[in-house]
Amino acid sequence: MNIDIEGHTSRAFDGALSSLHLRIMEMGVLVLQQVRDAAQAYTVWDQNAARTVLEREHAVNAYDMSVDEETLTLIARRQPVATDLRAIIAMAKIVSELERAGDEAKKIALTVLGRAGRAGERPGPATSRDARHLGKLAVDLLRLGMEAFDQLELELAEVVVKRDQDLDNEYRDGMRRLLTRAMEDVRYFNVALEAAFVLKSLERIGDHARNIARLIIAMAHQRRQPQRQL
Amino acid sequence: METTTVTGVARAGAGSSGSMPLPEGHKTVGVVTTPDPLFVCRSVDVYYGDKHAIKDVSIDIGRRQVLAMIGPSGCGKSTFLRCLNRMNDTIPGARVEGRIELDGNDIHDKRRDVVQLRARVGMVFQKPNPFPKSIYENVAYGPRIHGLARDRAELDEIVNTSLRRAGLWDEVKDRLAQPGTSLSGGQQQRLCIARTIAVNPEVILMDEPCSALDPIATARIEDLMDELAQSYAIVIVTHSMQQAARVSKRTAYFHLGDLVEVGPTDKIFTNPSHKLTEDYITGRFG
Repeated sequence: MNIDIEGHTSRAFDGALSSLHLRIMEMGVLVLQQVRDAAQAYTVWDQNAARTVLEREHAVNAYDMSVDEETLTLIARRQPVATDLRAIIAMAKIVSELERAGDEAKKIALTVLGRAGRAGERPGPATSRDARHLGKLAVDLLRLGMEAFDQLELELAEVVVKRDQDLDNEYRDGMRRLLTRAMEDVRYFNVALEAAFVLKSLERIGDHARNIARLIIAMAHQRRQPQRQL
Repeated sequence: METTTVTGVARAGAGSSGSMPLPEGHKTVGVVTTPDPLFVCRSVDVYYGDKHAIKDVSIDIGRRQVLAMIGPSGCGKSTFLRCLNRMNDTIPGARVEGRIELDGNDIHDKRRDVVQLRARVGMVFQKPNPFPKSIYENVAYGPRIHGLARDRAELDEIVNTSLRRAGLWDEVKDRLAQPGTSLSGGQQQRLCIARTIAVNPEVILMDEPCSALDPIATARIEDLMDELAQSYAIVIVTHSMQQAARVSKRTAYFHLGDLVEVGPTDKIFTNPSHKLTEDYITGRFG
């Protein structure tokens, strides 16, 4: 089922809603790139890539602020109700989720640059593999979440909610492996600590994708009663 | 000339307010009944000649509650409002069928005095329509003809109280002898409300009472409605959905003569059950 945010008598309102939708999609694409690049920067220990992620963080924040403005204007000027109001509120919350996912990418980039308040230890091959795997799952989930938002498709959003569980399981397994390695060799402790933060960030990004999907589901949520034809 | 005819529909339990059952096949979405209702309307149909303006509408109107009726032009909301004080009787060719009870009594009962009915069911119109008389006389007229005051002192008291309740006293107390028409639009509308409440009605019907007023005068009338709803039932027809959302506790949506949906205003404006309601309030109509 697709959610229809258009179809108003006022085409200007339709235009404003689809412009808001488009802007959030642009922000989503940017955040997706941030997450992909940050995970990659960590796994191959590429500090230049990490710096690029930090530089682009401003653009994510700028989107956050401008969409906020647009949402307020839309509410003030159109006084939306029912599905429109739910859609606009959901979109405003989706922006917050994206902004937080962007923050997690920033934290990973800071780790690579040794500016996260910790030493900044390069991961070994096994840890790198875990991070790469979890990073891929997080990016896939976020991409799927944004696809569901792009098409405003309920079924796709439900898939995202379900698949976040897989990511959570992988995160738990990854953490267990990290701890095992740290216990086997205490010199590995610092690396494991860094990696734990990174894995947690990737897991959180999955949670944000799941929250986005839940918001899409909430947009469509209506308890319709059987209706007669008039 | 054609005349208005009224046909009562006999139903089991008719005559006892609140217990009148809903007709079979009743299709309105939402809860149309209220506990301890003032008005009980069942299977109301209105025809203007061949035109079927209201189709099988059943709804209760609660005491001390604001009910907003919304819907596109020509949907029948004003027609239905006018059924409640038999204003449709005055329209040639209009025919009302079904049963409307006020406090358990059929308002179409032949023995019922329609003037008395309209004193119990007051009405405020879109355009303020004060009589071409003084402010005092505008309010005193109703109580005088209905014999509600024994002497001048009592009449003064009624005028004073009514103007106070309508939130107009402080603005007019020094010029009660001036013509009602000398007031501003918003003040005139409040004068009309004072005139309505002077005869101590149980219900106030309002047909787009703020559409000719500026936002400040509108806010004052809406504020007044909140206060009046402590004592009276108010039924308001409005084209402003924001107004319906602000002032009412229940909202009824009409569409082409059908009562499509009735529900708590909070629900109607956040999560209506019928697609037609949703389309109308979100501006996707037509």
